[in-house]
Amino acid sequence: MTLGEREQEAIRSVFAGLERDVEVTLELGPTATPVTLLAAGGREIDSNGLAREIVEAVCALSGRVTLTLVEHDEPGPWPRTVIGAGLEYLGMPAGYELTTLVHGILEAGREGPSLTEASLARLETLEQDVTVDVFVTPT
Amino acid sequence: MLLAYRLALASPRITARGIEASEFAVDADRHGVHAVPAIVVDDRYAWAGAVPEAAFVERVLEAAGT
Repeated sequence: MTLGEREQEAIRSVFAGLERDVEVTLELGPTATPVTLLAAGGREIDSNGLAREIVEAVCALSGRVTLTLVEHDEPGPWPRTVIGAGLEYLGMPAGYELTTLVHGILEAGREGPSLTEASLARLETLEQDVTVDVFVTPT
Repeated sequence: MLLAYRLALASPRITARGIEASEFAVDADRHGVHAVPAIVVDDRYAWAGAVPEAAFVERVLEAAGT
């Protein structure tokens, strides 16, 4: 079992706050380089397989969340999880990043933005497209 | 990470992406990432560390040249 009973219950509780349906897409395929993680004792790991286990288990916990799997033949930035209209996560959503996956789904499932009015007003001043990448680790 | 997602959901001009640094070590090295969370705006290293929402918004705007 990928998720324990307590984790499942906690995630169900978060997903109870979903105000609309959320589509999740998990893209899998060969990676350009083998993945080794210190958290796995420096061993090579099957990042695609683990990502699939985690994302499938999480998405199964709410009827408002649907999952689509896409398998690629070419090497690329896999595994890639796309939440809703375009929130992306590259890598296994494990450890602390399980929270990112769960709350990313919750954010995408809100009817409106969850930022303050002041932040929304500042973002209105943006005149060009911006890409924000956040590098994280699961531990 | 969630703040970046909230910005992306609030503004059609913003795209947000989380990247697991050890799985994508080449990308992390290319940007000089030594601590997490590390924020890269438009392919340029911006800052490392968690900050409150207002500061996050201002830093993204500053890094984007707005």
